[in-house]
Amino acid sequence: MKPSPFEYSAPASLEEALEVLAEAGSGAKVLAGGQSLVPLMNLRLAAPEHLVDLNGVGSLSEIRADDGGLAIGAMARQSTLERSTLVEELVPALAHAASHIGHFQVRNRGTVGGSLAHADPTAELPMILLAAGGRVTVQSKARGARAVEANDLVRGYFTTAIEPDEILTEAWFPRLEGAAGWSFQEVARRHGDFALVAAATVVRLDGDTVADAVIALAGVADRPVRAAAAEELITGEAPSAALAEHAADAVRGELSPTGDVHASSEYRREVAGVLVGRALSEAAQRAQAGS
Amino acid sequence: MSELTIPRGKHVGARVNRVEDPALLAGEAKFVCDLTLPRMLHAAFVRSPYAHARITSIDTSDALAMPGIEAVLTGSDITAYPLSDLVALEGLQKTPQPVVATDRVRFVGEAVAVVVARDPYVAEDAAARVEVDYEELPAMTSVEAAMGDDAPLLFDDLGSNVVFQTTRTFGDPDVAFASADRTYRRRMRGNRFVAAPMETRGVLADFERASGKLTVWSSNQMPDLLRVTLSAVLQFPAQKLRAVAPHVGGGFGQKMTTHPEEVVVAYLALQLGRPVRWIEDRRENLLAAAHAKEQVIELEAAVKDDGTILAFRSRCVGDAGGYSFNQASALIEPWYSATLMPGVYKVQNYEFEVLAVLTNKTPIGPYRGVGWTPGHTIREMLLDEIASDLGLDPAEFRQRNMVTAGEFPYKACVGQVYDSGSFIESVDKALEMIGYEEFRAEQESARARGCHLGIGISPYVEPTGFGSEAAQQQAEFPFPSHDNATVTVDPTGKVTVALSVTTQGQGHKTTFAQIAADTLGVELEDIAVVQGDTDTSPFGMGTYASRAAVIAGGSVALAAGEVRQKILDAAGVLLEIAADDLTIESSRVSVKGSPGRGMSLGDVAMAAYWAPTTRQEGKDPFLSATRFYDPKATYGNGCIVAVVEVDVETGHAQVKRLAVVEDCGTVLNPMIVEGQVRGAIAQGIGGALYESIVYSETGQPLTTTYLDYLLPTSTEVPSIEVGHLESPSPLTVGGIKGMGESGLIAAQGAVVSAVIDALDPFDPEIEELPLSPDRVLRSIGRISG
Ligand SMILES: Cc1cc2nc3c(=O)[nH]c(=O)nc-3n(C[C@H](O)[C@H](O)[C@H](O)COP(=O)(O)OP(=O)(O)OC[C@H]3O[C@@H](n4cnc5c(N)ncnc54)[C@H](O)[C@@H]3O)c2cc1C
Repeated sequence: MKPSPFEYSAPASLEEALEVLAEAGSGAKVLAGGQSLVPLMNLRLAAPEHLVDLNGVGSLSEIRADDGGLAIGAMARQSTLERSTLVEELVPALAHAASHIGHFQVRNRGTVGGSLAHADPTAELPMILLAAGGRVTVQSKARGARAVEANDLVRGYFTTAIEPDEILTEAWFPRLEGAAGWSFQEVARRHGDFALVAAATVVRLDGDTVADAVIALAGVADRPVRAAAAEELITGEAPSAALAEHAADAVRGELSPTGDVHASSEYRREVAGVLVGRALSEAAQRAQAGS
Repeated sequence: MSELTIPRGKHVGARVNRVEDPALLAGEAKFVCDLTLPRMLHAAFVRSPYAHARITSIDTSDALAMPGIEAVLTGSDITAYPLSDLVALEGLQKTPQPVVATDRVRFVGEAVAVVVARDPYVAEDAAARVEVDYEELPAMTSVEAAMGDDAPLLFDDLGSNVVFQTTRTFGDPDVAFASADRTYRRRMRGNRFVAAPMETRGVLADFERASGKLTVWSSNQMPDLLRVTLSAVLQFPAQKLRAVAPHVGGGFGQKMTTHPEEVVVAYLALQLGRPVRWIEDRRENLLAAAHAKEQVIELEAAVKDDGTILAFRSRCVGDAGGYSFNQASALIEPWYSATLMPGVYKVQNYEFEVLAVLTNKTPIGPYRGVGWTPGHTIREMLLDEIASDLGLDPAEFRQRNMVTAGEFPYKACVGQVYDSGSFIESVDKALEMIGYEEFRAEQESARARGCHLGIGISPYVEPTGFGSEAAQQQAEFPFPSHDNATVTVDPTGKVTVALSVTTQGQGHKTTFAQIAADTLGVELEDIAVVQGDTDTSPFGMGTYASRAAVIAGGSVALAAGEVRQKILDAAGVLLEIAADDLTIESSRVSVKGSPGRGMSLGDVAMAAYWAPTTRQEGKDPFLSATRFYDPKATYGNGCIVAVVEVDVETGHAQVKRLAVVEDCGTVLNPMIVEGQVRGAIAQGIGGALYESIVYSETGQPLTTTYLDYLLPTSTEVPSIEVGHLESPSPLTVGGIKGMGESGLIAAQGAVVSAVIDALDPFDPEIEELPLSPDRVLRSIGRISG
């Protein structure tokens, strides 16, 4: 468990980081919190030739209200999501979900950008970004900045739309507004483990019925996914326990997850339904309470 | 005073703070990886990626050509005898294991070459460049596959993958089964664990050419055995071999046996004439260090309608892995499950069959609660089933069948003699601690709310203090197990206690000092305990099987008693009074009843060393004694009660409360006993809900990091309430029984039983452990396929 040899740079600004990254070519990788990358290097499952360390780029850690939502710098630590009153106010699901990432030691190092760029299919943050309908900004020396929508970010297992010469600089989450409620549910083997299955829902009410709903899941596919059929099924209906059950079944019908040592495909499908049922009920209650 | 009595002053039995903690807390304790020597080189192993294969060729030239590489050795370059087990049980086949594979690999992770480099990074770079060609052979990953008629053989010359098979009958089980009102049967596949010590294995070896001395520092529990084994397999003179176990960060049995890597590193130091160090990484520890516990067990019980258990019948099949692992052998699991199956219960009709089977997985070695864990778990699961079927309360049903206070000494059918104990009382006390009646009411009302609570009751008896007699009673051969201690008072009156048992964190430097302090009448800070170095400690077996308190405690008490007498003899001469009229307290020797008349221990010691007038004809004046101790067999007991909550929709189970009563005879230090109990119970919780080494069908291990091999952490282990009962052994020095493993023997059963109890409305069917959320949902039919 010792990494193979690599070059190391510690740029002090984003411009410098982009420059080094462009020069170093496709063998280079950005180092953020190191909570995923370093173990992979120690196991020699990743062997980057060059590490570009972003920990010295102070400008990437800002969290601010922006454009009717919440903008979070890529290097903001996951633990700050739990403590920030701005996050709690604008995107409460994010604060809540962050507390399920590993242990506090991991969250103190791990970053928002790192989690989104790493794209573990069971990770909380990419799923929340998808549920919230957010986006990220990525930037390269050659092509400048561009926005990538949440549903376009993750392309498969640990694969994203971010090019090798690009750095994810910021994530943006729209603010939860009006008669809308959210819920986050997760089952993991132990507290702090990657989720077996996680679900995030947003339910917006129009009077007594669901105006629109988002159901996002992690741990059930090669990337975070939305359960479109179930979303459609509940739209226009009055929230109830029976409706949540119905949606849960629809979710089960939509999924064909892959199993691993911790849980089989059948388990993930079954429990995705359970969590969606719980999450819809809770989100609807929150929406009713907030309206 | 009889030699069996130890004086009890203010230390023995007290909650004395551990003297070893400051060094550990300050990070000053030195483990093998903290030891460096000038010119030291670093070893890295190349390990087989195949579960079963023939090695057709190895090309080391690329690796050797890399800068910083000193040597690359394959199996055929190493002159060392293979490792083999030391168990002399008739019918047990030997499976010699080359320290580096030569022509065949039998599990993923088996070493096929070793690289020596100037730093560990370069060593790993080069290890990746060693080219090994393999011809893959079919891999067997279950005992069923390995026992199949056409199963390929791991050892061609053995003619079978079954390395041991026998049956034993006690009483008349056939008659008992024929006359029973009801019979029950259960089958369970016990999970494969790994001991997962916080410090992985590690070895540093140094050979001084001029003196011819080879020193091996190893994270090992039995340095004397390591020394003898290295001397034998390397054909190296033992008198020039020193084995040292420095601070060791947990062993739990995994570090008992001599592992192949220890031989290889010692060999490299001899060959290269430079110190060589190897520090195992976590992946290697999960891959190549001994695994533990996996068995397939079938258990039947014959029962009368009134709830009397008439007989048991068991079949214990041990999944040994690729070799019947050195020293302990493949029997370490199934044999011990089978022989202790009756446990605390009065069952005199019993038949067992034991099989040990080779498979293409990492070899099985000892791990805390050897063998007893899965046997205990399946028995307690079966007892719950019987109680429920008979409509009896599970606690009462168990107690009805237990050995009662009046029946000690009790001879179990297999041969264990329980000298004393509190079998029934410990269940009562544990239930009282948990509030059993109130719990049942709470369970009922919680169920009505859709919240599923369950309780599991797991009483145990544990063979402790392994000496020759215990070995005979457990293993049918008198594995001569004993230990020694040397107690010396120096000319200033200070004390050195040299032990042959070693410590991996159990607090020996505290407990054994407590005994010496009370026997000699000195303070703890007057005592230094030395251990873990074959140059400075007397010979002994080391620490395993909950034996240190009994054996080292006994030998320290005996040696300290002898030195005390020598001190009193010398003081008697100095004070002109009979030695019998003197006593020692707080390092002062004085006349009993007239504390004013006396002198300091330091003055007596000084005189004993340098005033020839204190010497007496026929008595050895040296204030030192070494005593050998091979105790009678003794057994600790107790009971664990666990409460769990299960989410029946997600299958997630969580231990909510846990109470345990421990009876280890004389308690030397309750705080240390409680620490041992809690640690072992955490491991048992791991075995019930989380821990499992998993292999793919082709023999690829799928749990090679802590991301996948799940140890319980502080969020999974509730605070554990510990109660004490004390039934001192009438047979051992000081009545000490010893403890350490019980938590891991019985906690798995307690938690599994509790989960089954919680799931009772759904009729769970459980055959495999641990109870992951997936397995829980499967057991109640919520998922299938
Ligand atoms: C014990 C443990 C438990 C964990 N549990 C969880 C969990 O429950 N849920 C969970 O989601 N995660 C979990 N993690 C992973 C953790 O959240 C990581 O922090 C996260 O996956 C990666 O973030 P990081 O900042 O550490 O990134 P790094 O490890 O530094 O990088 C990860 C990858 O992202 C790339 N990258 C990082 N930042 C950028 C950027 N700004 N632009 C472009 N590419 C970038 C890197 O090049 C690398 O490929 C756990 C980790 C550990 C050690």
